[in-house]
Amino acid sequence: MVETASDITWEDVARVYGRKIYNFAYRLTGNPDDAHDLVQEVLLRVRRGLPSYRPGSFEGWLWRITRNAFLDDVRRRKRRPTTALPDELDRTGLVSSPAPDEVLASIRLGEDVQKALLDLPYEFREAVVLCDIVGLSYDEIARAVEAPIGTVRSRIHRGRRMLRERLG
Amino acid sequence: MSHLGELLSAHLDGELSPAERRRVADHLEDCDRCREELDELASARSAVRSLPMVEVPASVLGLPDEVVVPLPRRKSFWVGAAAAAAAVFIVVASILAPDGTALTPQDLSDPFGARVSLDPGFTPTKVAQVRVATGDFAE
Repeated sequence: MVETASDITWEDVARVYGRKIYNFAYRLTGNPDDAHDLVQEVLLRVRRGLPSYRPGSFEGWLWRITRNAFLDDVRRRKRRPTTALPDELDRTGLVSSPAPDEVLASIRLGEDVQKALLDLPYEFREAVVLCDIVGLSYDEIARAVEAPIGTVRSRIHRGRRMLRERLG
Repeated sequence: MSHLGELLSAHLDGELSPAERRRVADHLEDCDRCREELDELASARSAVRSLPMVEVPASVLGLPDEVVVPLPRRKSFWVGAAAAAAAVFIVVASILAPDGTALTPQDLSDPFGARVSLDPGFTPTKVAQVRVATGDFAE
């Protein structure tokens, strides 16, 4: 566990959590460009916030920053709707910019699951992604989304039931 | 008999209290409906968990591209002794240097070889330490 801000640098956060933050955003939006933007925004906020970080749940702190950055981005897009909102994105799951073949192949592999995820209402999608993609405990998710643990449990359960119905 | 509902997802995630675990185990023994729901939830959970993790380039993370330095080749005793002496010198120098950037033990004991960053902030002291660790300097 991270005890003090001096134990960790933003580069450490980028190396250890960058991939998870990227995949969190990618699975929530289905859009790699949005995921790139989010990772960079989160790391900027981490860099600014680390000096004032106080010992506690580092995961909760980091994922609260990540979630807030994501929601701020969604709100910004709503005010300036020149690009698609998460719910209006192309549901094909294909990328909009060139990507290596192996990345495209891995994206196609999970295309049905990704589409089903994008069909879930935001709260349920977020809870499922934080649990099953990012790998947080219910307690860490509760801290990140600032909701009671019972709510987290319920969202994960209902999210999985909805996924099951969509996947057939 | 009330069914288990969201306790089933928490059961899959290992998020139940001891009392809830006992209740779930007892209930599942007698309830086909909850066993069936458990299978369906496990299938949805597994589908999401099997999504591939997409790699993200270092440049997107704001990190410099990293070069993996080859693992050290076998050196003679004297080369090893010289490397050890140089390592001691550099560690002392890095402690004394006012703005030196400290390396963690993990940097030097990475089993896949030390990583040298192209970051301008990556000081000559750090590069020298990595070279000593790999025996690269003696060539």
